[in-house]
Amino acid sequence: MPFTPRPPLYPTELRLLATAPVDESQPPVGGVPQEVDAFPAALRPEAPLPAKAKVVIIGGGIMGLALAYNLAREGETDVVVLERGYLCAGASGRNGGGVRMQWGTPALVELAKRSIDLMKGFAGELGINVWLRQGGYLFLAKTKAVAQRLDRNVALHNKFGVPTRIVSPDEARDIVPGLTMKDCLAASYNPEDGVIFPWPFLWGYAQGCKKKGVRVETYTDVTGFETSNGQVRKVKTTRGDIACDTVVLAAGAWSPEVAKLVGVQLPNEPHRHEILSTEPLKPFLQPLVSVLDTGLYFSQSMRGEIVGGMGDPKEPAGLNMGSTLRFVSRFARALMEQLPQVGHVKVLRQWAGCYDVTPDNNPILGRTPGLDNLLQMSGFVGHGFMMAPAVAERMAKWMASGQSDELFTRFNLRRFAEGTLEREDMIIG
Amino acid sequence: MRRLPDASPRGRAITVDLEGESIPAIEGEPVACSLIAADEQMLARSVKYHRPRSPYCFAAACSHCLMRVDGQPNVYTCRTPAREGMRLERQNAYPSAKVDVFETIDWFFPKGLDHHEMFAGVPVAEQVMAKVARQLAGLGLLPKEAAPTPPPARTLRTRVAVVGGGAAGLAAARVLTERGVPFLLFERDGHLGGRLAHGAPEAGAPEVPEATAFPKGSVYTRAPVLGLYDDEGGRYLAVGVWEPEGPRLLKVYAERFLLAPGGHPPMLPFENNDLPGVYSGRAASLLLRRYDVAPEVAALVGWGPELHALANLMQERGVKVAVVVDLKGAPPSGAHPAAVQGSEPKAHGLRGVGAFSYTAQGGGRKKVSCDAVLVSVPVSPSFELARQGGAKVTFDAGRGLFVVEADADGRTQATDVYAAGDLTGGGTAKEAGAAGRRVAEALVGGLS
Repeated sequence: MPFTPRPPLYPTELRLLATAPVDESQPPVGGVPQEVDAFPAALRPEAPLPAKAKVVIIGGGIMGLALAYNLAREGETDVVVLERGYLCAGASGRNGGGVRMQWGTPALVELAKRSIDLMKGFAGELGINVWLRQGGYLFLAKTKAVAQRLDRNVALHNKFGVPTRIVSPDEARDIVPGLTMKDCLAASYNPEDGVIFPWPFLWGYAQGCKKKGVRVETYTDVTGFETSNGQVRKVKTTRGDIACDTVVLAAGAWSPEVAKLVGVQLPNEPHRHEILSTEPLKPFLQPLVSVLDTGLYFSQSMRGEIVGGMGDPKEPAGLNMGSTLRFVSRFARALMEQLPQVGHVKVLRQWAGCYDVTPDNNPILGRTPGLDNLLQMSGFVGHGFMMAPAVAERMAKWMASGQSDELFTRFNLRRFAEGTLEREDMIIG
Repeated sequence: MRRLPDASPRGRAITVDLEGESIPAIEGEPVACSLIAADEQMLARSVKYHRPRSPYCFAAACSHCLMRVDGQPNVYTCRTPAREGMRLERQNAYPSAKVDVFETIDWFFPKGLDHHEMFAGVPVAEQVMAKVARQLAGLGLLPKEAAPTPPPARTLRTRVAVVGGGAAGLAAARVLTERGVPFLLFERDGHLGGRLAHGAPEAGAPEVPEATAFPKGSVYTRAPVLGLYDDEGGRYLAVGVWEPEGPRLLKVYAERFLLAPGGHPPMLPFENNDLPGVYSGRAASLLLRRYDVAPEVAALVGWGPELHALANLMQERGVKVAVVVDLKGAPPSGAHPAAVQGSEPKAHGLRGVGAFSYTAQGGGRKKVSCDAVLVSVPVSPSFELARQGGAKVTFDAGRGLFVVEADADGRTQATDVYAAGDLTGGGTAKEAGAAGRRVAEALVGGLS
């Protein structure tokens, strides 16, 4: 099996990791382990792929699986999902599990709100617990500009029935005892945001797909496409070709690579984001806390671990899932600044995943100009997990009914050529 | 377990505080060792089913000895030196580890509790379960105070970084010393020698050198390696070293990494293998050789030369060996008289081991009374660091282990990573020493 030992190899206190020197002026390099694509051919299923399918979905992450499941619910079960690794190998298995409605644009607020509603019913529908815990999201702002952004968002959120409110530093400390609020000017809080455990979503959707007759094929790489007359006719894989009517590209950070195989240039760029998890502790932290200025976020999982990450402004583009000491050090410092009593808490493991970053921090959805039956479903910039249930629901309806839906016009790939971009500015991690 | 009557004095007699009770201990020895010698075997409760736990590995590789120590949660008591007045609390139990009401989880769900599907989608029950589960999960409590800031990390540069101060690592260090090649060696334990110092003695095993045999300052003990990372300065080991004033982080850049971290003591799958009183063979030999702590009557199970050497060690020190069950074949010549071939081992007891049974060769269950079951099988190579460094790890079907792929001179897929000793799949201490020497010679030859 492809297994990846995660540093640190010995439980290590955050305060010790915080002492590692970091040169903030330099970009991070490398990381361990280095390889991204280590799936032995021996793991490839031996059964043949179907020769044809109505819909082929490339990518067995949360997006692809959620879409496949929703298509099956709409009655379309002639669907094959292709996944290059195991379920949860990519960002869907590597994210921090935060789900929130606090976004900066109406489209995302609405989608996220619907997603969280769907998450509440997930266990009932798919028979697996996802441990949604609505402990809220507490956003902290260190600069005036960011504080204004939080202010502006409250009005937007309330308009959509999301009960976000601005809280004073004292109130923030009531919500999270021990929080220093060091250098923080303002905070916003929505008690209905929360955290989930990502893996059972994939297992649940995949099981749901299989029950409805949808095939989920792991360890299967897409190697190329056959096209004619502006249509994709076949998807070529390491296990043979599949003729199809529609192809959906939902490969997350790998989407630009796959799109290139069919001559489509996507503007997405993969960016590594690192994350870590600590020893499990009894519940002490209700919300997910995030310093919006630095991208620091931390929450406490159902099992009691502190799970958190922090973006690195110097991170170069590229598919890299290696772990660095630089990240742990930066994260530990930033976390201890806000919550000093975690200094003794020991880090058990760190890992990384790739954000699928677009120029306007918004997804790419809908038809591909020039290749009508190639549908895009990527570019979620680290928040795909929380958007997937709602996006997949809309997309399956749109695909099955043929009725128009503004979502697939608004976020169409065309917008980058046309230059009408509305930037999302609530990105963390 | 008890302290042997002929125990040599090893330190000042002190007391530690176990949940308000004064327990005799010996200053400086691992506090878990003092506790089990004082018949306080159960140190923890398991995370999910709240089953009683006693320290299994004594190598900071299992979770069975984690306690709250002086207010710090989840501390490896097998690695924490006893100190006068040290406060110890068992975790994950209510009202106490000895009478833990949550033990009933184990009784109510004899076939296991599937938290993934339990109450999934059942209105109210689902929410209640999530609330209860969150309270039950988590081991320690967040410390109340901010931690003092450790001293700044130190960056070191050397030609060769050696990981592991066992038979292979020490033999390599000796070659590097002889050749005048600057090196730094990091050992996770508080002492050098690995199994030479605390395993069951093997015939022909080399002596453990004194630290003075190596250039001053080149050998670090109590220095666990955290990872093999890289950054703009090249590849380096991150090491957490315990200095007298507390922990310090080291960044150790090197041209070559000679990895000889040995292996983890594995657990065998058998009924009640988690009862308090089941110890790894390496733990049993460590407790006996370094701290004179041993069972009254032991049953041994496993295979390989270490199993039979352990039986002889126990016998020599006056421990009654009830049976030695070799799961892989007939006991070799020179094996303990109680050694037999057998299968299907099982431990018996309620709160701790009281007996051990097995199926004898030719059929029929045999049962013996004992107060400890010692599991001795070849260790699982600690390949983690090598894998981080880019070496290839493969499954050795013959031995049933994942091993680091290396040629006879320890070269791996990564040009600067060399592997020696148990990492490449075991052997005797003598063989590990020979490998350490050979790999060091090859590595020195490749240095410009």
